[in-house]
Amino acid sequence: MKIRTTLATVLLMALWSAGSRATAFDGVPSPRLGQGPFESLAIVVNRSNQTDNLSMVELRRIFLGERSHWANGRRITLVMRDLGEPERRTIVRDVCGMTEDQLKFHVLHGLFTGEILVSPKILSSAEGVRKFVFNVPGAIGYLRMSDLDSTVKVVSIDNILPSGRAYELKVTIQTGY
Amino acid sequence: MSLRLLSRPVINVPKKENLVRGGVFPGTLPVLDRFLTGLSTMQSIFLLIFICCAITVVGMVVVRDLRSANNEAKNIFTSSIQGLHSIGDLQYDAQETRRATLYALTTKDSNLQVIYADQSRNADQRVKDGITRYVHQATRPSEVSLGERLNRDWNAYLAIRDEVLASILEGSTEEAVNLDIAGGVRAFERVRQDLQEVKRLYDEDASVRIANLMAVSRVSSLKLIGILCFTFLLSLAAVSAIQRVQMLGAMRLANLQMEFVASVSHELRTPLAVLNSAADNIADGIVKGDAALQKYGAILQNQSRHMSTMVDEILLFASTEDRKNRYIVQRVPIATIVETVLSNAQTLVRDAGVTLERHIEPGVPHVLGDLGGISQCLHNLISNAVKYGGEAKWVALTIYTATAKEGAFEEVRIAVTDRGLGIDRSELAHIFDPFYRSPRVNVAQIHGTGLGLSLARKIAEAMGGRLSVISDLGVGSTFILHLQAARSEDGQTIPASESTTTSHP
Repeated sequence: MKIRTTLATVLLMALWSAGSRATAFDGVPSPRLGQGPFESLAIVVNRSNQTDNLSMVELRRIFLGERSHWANGRRITLVMRDLGEPERRTIVRDVCGMTEDQLKFHVLHGLFTGEILVSPKILSSAEGVRKFVFNVPGAIGYLRMSDLDSTVKVVSIDNILPSGRAYELKVTIQTGY
Repeated sequence: MSLRLLSRPVINVPKKENLVRGGVFPGTLPVLDRFLTGLSTMQSIFLLIFICCAITVVGMVVVRDLRSANNEAKNIFTSSIQGLHSIGDLQYDAQETRRATLYALTTKDSNLQVIYADQSRNADQRVKDGITRYVHQATRPSEVSLGERLNRDWNAYLAIRDEVLASILEGSTEEAVNLDIAGGVRAFERVRQDLQEVKRLYDEDASVRIANLMAVSRVSSLKLIGILCFTFLLSLAAVSAIQRVQMLGAMRLANLQMEFVASVSHELRTPLAVLNSAADNIADGIVKGDAALQKYGAILQNQSRHMSTMVDEILLFASTEDRKNRYIVQRVPIATIVETVLSNAQTLVRDAGVTLERHIEPGVPHVLGDLGGISQCLHNLISNAVKYGGEAKWVALTIYTATAKEGAFEEVRIAVTDRGLGIDRSELAHIFDPFYRSPRVNVAQIHGTGLGLSLARKIAEAMGGRLSVISDLGVGSTFILHLQAARSEDGQTIPASESTTTSHP
């Protein structure tokens, strides 16, 4: 009985693991340099935010809700794009290291346990993200390089600006069709 | 006979001052009346020009004032509309800023919240622009101070608004409401009061401007009324003066005609009385002997000739007045004129015992005129010179050429000069008027009809010439007949240096 239970558990974990790998990239390979028309995805904060640089680890903690306040004590407000948007997929995959389902589960679990105080704000357009970040001093979000303007502040990741060649967060260029 | 001749008829002629007594302004505006009726033609023209200029200047001032008032009214109207719009927009945008912020509270959708936040920021930017314009246009210290206070209060409200918006977008609705209640409401109330103060100051300014406009309009209206009254009085005075002049002219003509009738009656009755006396004396057998009869015959002859001349003169005047007389203008040699005139005047000069001198410039050309007219004209002038020549008993006939006043052609001037009474300067303008008789000649008992000079002038003008006079009181007079010289080269000329004197005892 114990052996059967153990085997069943191992089998379920294997199946779960296989399923997770199968949906990890949603059939879309992670963008790499020289593999197609990509542009950098900048991490943006309010202009009043003193933060200029974040490590990838800090960024991951922020997006997973593990860090809730900035150094000046201001509450962090996460701004996310709608489900399925390329920018969101890049953040979920490359920053959070999760799938959408895993992230959803993580957020729901955090809100339920009280580890996450405020759920991310979902905005349907880059302009909405830009205006939200402009209006909220503790907001952090992400924008394509082509969507940037002076109303928001770009922070570097591991001291690399989005214009740098080694910048890791990339998103496919939208053609407009 | 002498006794009978002394009984002269007397006709009472009304005095001019009796006729005009009372005037147009009897006792009302005597000064103006005297002033207007005493003006000469040139003075009247200058006065009219002066008054026209004065009215024009004052009228331009009034028009300028009215235009200025009109522009001011337009400015007030335009600025009122614009000002009210501006203040209304400012109040609306301030409310819109707050309203859009509070709308964001009504939804959990971040996209809608961002849209409301955007609307709030757009509205607050319009308010900032409006305040900037207000501060820029402010002139009074109170307005400048208010503009600065409004700017300060609005920025204070915006700082709270930003916190409220951030809290709303972060999802902290309760925090947003608390922030707004704690500071936003009071800050916005201060802004609202500031805007009310802006409107109050604007109303005050508009009231002052309207009061100024009304004052300007009142002054302009008074000026306009003044001009109208002045123009009305002036027109009244002008009409009255014209009527007065016309009345005076009519009275003067009537007076002259009455004097003429009296004079003619007298002049006709005198020879009639002589004729009557002579006839009576002959019929009564008082006259005896051939010598006496010859003497009476001569008297009858002279008096009847005198009466005939007088009747001719009156008829001639009547014919020229009716323009029935037509002169045939043609080349007339000077020699013919001199010969005719001297022949006509021979008896007159001889009877009066006057010395008649002739001075004729050599080479005087023919003249354009009518021989009969020229002779009549010169005969009248010589008769006048003989009649008013005084004790000097001297008359000169001078003929010479000169350039006409217009300078366009050469003219021949025939001057008749005497050394008699002369003419007063004030009478020179009237001596050519028909029936005019100088008071001095009436006093001097020099008889006449007052038609001689008038006839002479009419004849001269009818022939295309003119008659002028130069006279000094007590020295003598020179009457000059101006006739156009004929341009024909075959004209007969008077022999050179002809200067003769005809003397009579």
